[in-house]
Amino acid sequence: MTQQTWDEVGGLLPHDEFRAASEAIVANIEQVIEGKTATVRLALAVLLAEGHLLIEDVPGVGKTKLAKALARSIDCSVRRIQFTPDLLPSDVTGVSVYNQETHDFEFRPGAVFANLVVGDEINRASPKTQSALLECMEERQVTVDGVTYQLQTPFMVIATQNPIEMEGTYPLPEAQRDRFTARIAMGYPDPAAELAMLDGHGAADPLQDLGAVSDADTVRRLIATVREVHVADAVKQYAVDLVTATREAPDLRLGASPRATLQLLRTARAVAALEGRDYVLPDDLQALAVPVLAHRIIPTADAQLARRTTDAIVSELVHRLALPHDRQRSPYDTRPTGEGNGRAPYEPRRR
Amino acid sequence: MTATRNLGFVAAGATLLSAAPLSAIFERWTWLIQATIAVAVVAGVAALTRLVRAPLWGQALGMLAGLVLALTWIFPSGGELVALVPTPATFAHFGELVGASAQDMRSYRVKVPDTPPLLFISVLGIGGVALVVDVLSVGLRRPALAGLPMLAIYSVPVAVYVDSVPAVPFVVGAAGYLWLLVADNVDRVRRFGRRFTGDGRDVDVWESSPLAAAGRRLAVVGVALAVVLPLAVPGMTGGLLDTLGSGTGNGTGRAGQGGNPGRVDLFAALSGELNQSEVADMVKVTTTESGPFYLRFGVADQLEADGFRVGSPTGQAVTRGLPDPPQEAREGVEQRRYRATVETTKNFAMPLLPVYGEPVRIEELGGNWRYDPALQLVFSNRDDSREKRYSFDYVRSTYSPAALRRATSLPADHPLRLRQTATPPVSQVDTLVAGLVRGERTDYDKVRAIYDYFSSDNGFSYSLTTKGGTSGQDIVDFLNNKAGFCQQYAAAMAWLVRAAGIPARVAFGFTNGTGRTDEGYVLTNRNLHAWTEVYFDGMGWVPFDATPAYGVQGSTRSAWAPDTDAPESVTPEPGAPVTPGENDPSAEAAGPDRPDRETDAGLAVGAGDPTRQAPVWPWWTAGVLVLLGLLAVPALRRAALRRRRGTRVAAVPTATMVDAGTGRDGVERTIVVGVDPDRARADAHAAWDELLDTLVDYRVRVDRTETPRATAERLAADALTEDAAAAAAARLLGRAEERARYARDPLAGEELAPALRSVRGVLAARADRRTRVLATVLPPSVLLRWRTAVSDTSSRVVATTGDARYRLLRWDPRRLLANRAAR
Repeated sequence: MTQQTWDEVGGLLPHDEFRAASEAIVANIEQVIEGKTATVRLALAVLLAEGHLLIEDVPGVGKTKLAKALARSIDCSVRRIQFTPDLLPSDVTGVSVYNQETHDFEFRPGAVFANLVVGDEINRASPKTQSALLECMEERQVTVDGVTYQLQTPFMVIATQNPIEMEGTYPLPEAQRDRFTARIAMGYPDPAAELAMLDGHGAADPLQDLGAVSDADTVRRLIATVREVHVADAVKQYAVDLVTATREAPDLRLGASPRATLQLLRTARAVAALEGRDYVLPDDLQALAVPVLAHRIIPTADAQLARRTTDAIVSELVHRLALPHDRQRSPYDTRPTGEGNGRAPYEPRRR
Repeated sequence: MTATRNLGFVAAGATLLSAAPLSAIFERWTWLIQATIAVAVVAGVAALTRLVRAPLWGQALGMLAGLVLALTWIFPSGGELVALVPTPATFAHFGELVGASAQDMRSYRVKVPDTPPLLFISVLGIGGVALVVDVLSVGLRRPALAGLPMLAIYSVPVAVYVDSVPAVPFVVGAAGYLWLLVADNVDRVRRFGRRFTGDGRDVDVWESSPLAAAGRRLAVVGVALAVVLPLAVPGMTGGLLDTLGSGTGNGTGRAGQGGNPGRVDLFAALSGELNQSEVADMVKVTTTESGPFYLRFGVADQLEADGFRVGSPTGQAVTRGLPDPPQEAREGVEQRRYRATVETTKNFAMPLLPVYGEPVRIEELGGNWRYDPALQLVFSNRDDSREKRYSFDYVRSTYSPAALRRATSLPADHPLRLRQTATPPVSQVDTLVAGLVRGERTDYDKVRAIYDYFSSDNGFSYSLTTKGGTSGQDIVDFLNNKAGFCQQYAAAMAWLVRAAGIPARVAFGFTNGTGRTDEGYVLTNRNLHAWTEVYFDGMGWVPFDATPAYGVQGSTRSAWAPDTDAPESVTPEPGAPVTPGENDPSAEAAGPDRPDRETDAGLAVGAGDPTRQAPVWPWWTAGVLVLLGLLAVPALRRAALRRRRGTRVAAVPTATMVDAGTGRDGVERTIVVGVDPDRARADAHAAWDELLDTLVDYRVRVDRTETPRATAERLAADALTEDAAAAAAARLLGRAEERARYARDPLAGEELAPALRSVRGVLAARADRRTRVLATVLPPSVLLRWRTAVSDTSSRVVATTGDARYRLLRWDPRRLLANRAAR
């Protein structure tokens, strides 16, 4: 297996090739997941943004199926971990075993040594095991017995979890959730899509027939292309404004991290590229704010009591936040001028 | 508890301060003692009841009881138990006092003496206000509402002084109100917790919070506005500004205001009525005389340093008969007896009744009415002249100049001469009089010399508005300005005649108005007039009217006092006064005073000398033009903006888009050749700004949280649904703007101007008429931009001054006090 590391992503793809490759992947996945184009594209965008995906929804809406379909569409190494309460960290990262023949310890890579890692029901594993993913997800490396092993590129963890059933589960810690670039909900299919599903899935599982339409090399080149998408200063400013707004929102106990800003912009680049643009729009950020930011923030007790979900809080922030202008101040911007645009500088709230 | 008690006493103090306007009503200040006693009792009872934690109604009842006790003690009827406990007799006494106070209010004019009924009603009112203020500010914690009863006190002088209200008492009352508000707020903050004074924290003790400073500034500005605004707006007070500007009066005559005890302030009433905008009938009179002289009802004969004042008439009731006029017929004096019937309307409310000449018998009047033979007045201390009807016989004397010339001077020790010729020493007047009467031998010649002095040849003109002067003496001001109305002329002539050693006084009454109808004369408030009467030995009081005839409707001249402005040849026949409009040549000559003129000519806007006045219409036209120009500024600004942006957008050359092959790193990129990217960006921005302004103009929502794409989509979905081309145009504009803002390369080669036009056209067609008109005349986008600019500037200025102030505070000596003990 060739070890493609983080920074070696290959050359850029021309515009139409990019388009063809990405459309092929989306179309392939849609053979299995019907009527969920936006979700599928978002999942692909997370892959191209070199992020990790958390799919959170009730049982039976196709979380695992989406994860597997995405994995199968790309011809690369895929490992699947079924998280159970008795899963051990070494099952995830790998373990050194004693080789009788060589009379030496030999490292046997765990499940994370793959391009795509599908972690099913991630919240069923104990925090100990969940923590095994911390290093590999952010740093793309695994350290076992003092030896650090680099992971391959692309590397993506697609985890699923069930938010409803809480018995016997361990909620993901904040640090773990922050490592997921986006959290998406599948949602129920609309009636027409469900009807089509009945016809298509009645006899056989279409997942079995799904072939790969792309390979790891192509994905690396897609990633390289996404990295080149232009982000104007105004858009960067808007991303910072958005994240700052979550830190200052009265409803939130914990705002989004700087990592969130980074991943928001990366995902926005991917989305823009998928839409055939070579520049990011504030619209992309607005559309991505809920999937990228909502799972990282913690609402205050008051907001929780008021049954305000983080999704609602973030989308409200998006609707309230004015667009920054790279030119002169907008005449319809009635905020007071002055230092910090009238806002107090970021101050960490007491917890 | 302490705080609440404090607030109660503050409320009492504020009530007393707010009673300050009553000082303009009373002649002396002793009412303040009684009022203070009543307020103190009320406040004390309130504090006591609060000490025993009585409920609010208990406090109110207690205060009421305290007020009654205080009133009983101050105004005893004699039948009280232990001089304090009221009995039914006390309340009967109170009832009488209230009744008598109504009577007094009718019969007295400001400033009133301290009569028990008036004192009673004042103390009762102030005590009641103290009660209400206490309940509102302490019991209900609504001190702002307590301003209403305080304002009720202020309304008393407002109601009494028709044309001008003293400003200083209002300031005192307002200060009391502010004190109450401040005390309440301090108390509120104290209840909330410890009052933050900033002690020991490097915060200014006196300026603990910027909010406090703002509140104080607001309060000061509010009071200043309340005082200054009425001064600046001339129509509101009838020239209070003049009063402040020139000392005590509006002119010579106005000096009589507010001086005389117990009697009508005729000067104030006169100028007030003449300045009224509406015309009200006051008197209807029929007489057997063909061309009567003025109808007369008042006299001012007491000359003091600031002008003539009305004296107190004395005399017997008219029902007992009137003294006979001097019957000895002198040569050249013609006396005829006539009969007249007068009917007054409700608009004429005076303690005086108008009569002609020297009445000899009055019928159909009650015993309330008395006649003063010296002043020749019919007056009453109780009744007033509203809706009266009476008849009287009177004697009209006419004098020939020759007979007047024969009259001898009064001996120097004659009591009338002693009393009626004393003038305050004003050197300029004395010099003037000495110059005028030099070489004149008889009294009549001297009077005529003075009378003739008030002519247009000497520059005198008629004007209802008088200018102030700097001499401090109103008569000197008038003699310098040489413009005024009947008051000034009458008073000034009387003054000069007195200075010449001849008794003279000012008479008030009505002219003959617009002329005679079948039923007689109908006289309005515009016909009110004042003139001079001069005493000749053996002849009595002889009227002279020095006011320019053109200014007075229904002016009448006599043989002994011809119109000084008229040509000699048309002097009317002796003893045959004329009514204007029939044969008064002076009125005809003066032009504006035509008989069909409804009002006094002097009442025209900006009245000056009508004969010399420039036409006003150019000013009006210029004013209207300037106004229109100002109104058109936003529209012009909008048009200029649109033109500038339009040329920007239209100037885009059709660029050629060429495929430059694969760009950097193999990505295919279109490079625009022939178009400067910066230029294209600016064009797109211009088009987008124009679109946003158009949206604002047509009242389509503009959301600053929306991206250009979202805005364009919303427009296409909401506003431009009917027109697919316009929707596409809006999308094009949105795309151009978003490319210009966020992409590496701006969109080029698209025609933005037609797109803009089509969107604008659809929006305009969709808007209602009002929006369209407003968008054209007063574009909201421009106004909004200006408003934003103003608020930005002001906030910047506030920030800068705050900064500077903070820096200056370093050298503030008050900072040294910051370490004193916390209050």
